[in-house]
Amino acid sequence: MNYYFGRGWSRSLPYLLLLPGVLFYLIIALGPSLATTVYSFTDATGLKGAPIHWINLDNYREFLFMGQASQDNFSALGRTLIFCFFVTTIQFGLGLFVAVIINQKLKGRNIFRTLYFMPVILGAVIQGLIWSLFLFPLGGPMAKFLGMFGLSSEFLGGQPSEAFAWVIAIQIWANMGTTMIIFLAGLQTIPSELYEAATIDGANSWQVFQNVTWPLLTPSVNTNLTLNIIGSLQAWQLFLVLIGYRNGTQVLGYLIYATGFGQTSGSVTSSFRQGYAASASIVLFLLVLVLGMSTNYFLQRRERRILG
Amino acid sequence: MTTTAIPQKAVRRQVTRSRIDWGKIGSYFVLVLFAIIYLGPLLMLVNTSLKSMPEFMKDATSPATQFHWENFADAWTKANFPKYILNSIIYTASATAIYIVTAVFVAFPIARGYIRFSGVVLTLFVIALFLPPALIPQFQLILNLGLYNNPVGYIMLFLVNPIGIVILVNYIKTVPKELDEAAALDGCGYFRFVWLIVLPLIRPAIATVIVLHAIGIWNEIIAPTIYLTSKEYYPITRGLIVFQGVYGSNWPTLAAAVLMLTFPMLILFLFLQRYIISGLTAGSVKG
Repeated sequence: MNYYFGRGWSRSLPYLLLLPGVLFYLIIALGPSLATTVYSFTDATGLKGAPIHWINLDNYREFLFMGQASQDNFSALGRTLIFCFFVTTIQFGLGLFVAVIINQKLKGRNIFRTLYFMPVILGAVIQGLIWSLFLFPLGGPMAKFLGMFGLSSEFLGGQPSEAFAWVIAIQIWANMGTTMIIFLAGLQTIPSELYEAATIDGANSWQVFQNVTWPLLTPSVNTNLTLNIIGSLQAWQLFLVLIGYRNGTQVLGYLIYATGFGQTSGSVTSSFRQGYAASASIVLFLLVLVLGMSTNYFLQRRERRILG
Repeated sequence: MTTTAIPQKAVRRQVTRSRIDWGKIGSYFVLVLFAIIYLGPLLMLVNTSLKSMPEFMKDATSPATQFHWENFADAWTKANFPKYILNSIIYTASATAIYIVTAVFVAFPIARGYIRFSGVVLTLFVIALFLPPALIPQFQLILNLGLYNNPVGYIMLFLVNPIGIVILVNYIKTVPKELDEAAALDGCGYFRFVWLIVLPLIRPAIATVIVLHAIGIWNEIIAPTIYLTSKEYYPITRGLIVFQGVYGSNWPTLAAAVLMLTFPMLILFLFLQRYIISGLTAGSVKG
């Protein structure tokens, strides 16, 4: 393309000024990302200057096939999928439901929208601490609420499956706003004439949703599903803040962190198994890749069918 | 058939309109229900922060009668807040500033095609979103550079954000190219053009990218847990977790600490909301 800002050496100015950004990116993001594969074949530790040996597939063999540890790994993998499934479906469903309601011309809808969207700015630590308090087992609000129905729960300190379920709920609470906002943006692109035409034809609100809203919402459906699936497969910050590394609750992301950097945060110990953690990263990456790609494949096919 | 059906329907609609609109009531019911789920935890936080410890233990949910403001002073000093907040501000501001300046000079020539293979360069940036997590090699890199437990190394981690590049490229494409030609004819150089003319024109996109990037750094908890071991370097997120470890059972003080961080964030949110939204929905609607 035509470049107007001089010739000769000044023609290289765009390249020179581009360089810092590209270098940062290569050194901090792309390079390390690719190097994860290399590290996954080594016995690297987190110690400075410690020798690193090439050990072929040993990490993968250990991760997938060695006794109790590999069974725990598979449970973590299964839990990651369960977490992904519930977070994606519920967050998607609620986000869509709330977006459709808010998209009506109701008074005060901006207030509600702002309120539901609010947790995104707070971040995992504040989200987690606020909910730890709300789920205070000794007479906290949720304990009292459940008590009204004769129920009780130890919440985050209870059975692993129970604590796990609460993390799912809080994850959804924290991120439903994002799903809702993307749906709202999609809803606003649907021309109102279509709704009017459908109403004149005598369609009830469910039929309108089925035949107008849902098909025309396809782009935001695709975005949300893809974002939710990939995001929830990799999310584990709330586990860190809410329950810590506890047996029966770990997901893959947390397992990678715990094996790579020691279970207790902060102190450097020789038990850092970073080569092994890198191989676990690759396993998680493949999971994201397979699920992400197949979702995308089905969504694309569906889009072609609906929107032609 | 059809001629009789239309008047009937019209009559029925008139009847329902004069009655109660159940659809609307149902909608409000749902909205309020969700509002309770979103406000409840915050109200509990505010209420707890105003109570004394014995009051809280006696009945966690009872409304605070006397306001124990000393919880806030307590938390402020005990949690070492001033230091941690200062650290967070330094990390967030410096990393965001360096990032946005470098990002503009990456995005502009890509959007304009002023560099060879600009499409390839852009793909290179996007591809990282689909590659394995960089966690382990990144740590090895920082460790071997001698930047472990070092603010400089910590800031380095946040100099990259591919999504920001994409947002900037898309926005710069809306700036007419004739502007480049005209400015160049008037003798304006490349750097001056980008810095003094393009930058003000793409302010909305810049604001969006800055807000998204800064929020990410401010709320980051995994990186400080991995990279910073000295207390003097902790950002506020890590500081809060440590404070929870020590004062975890003293909910009134802890709640005061959390609230002191939550409140300014919420105020900020009201102002920054539209930038976050435009960042999230950039490109997502068209697919």
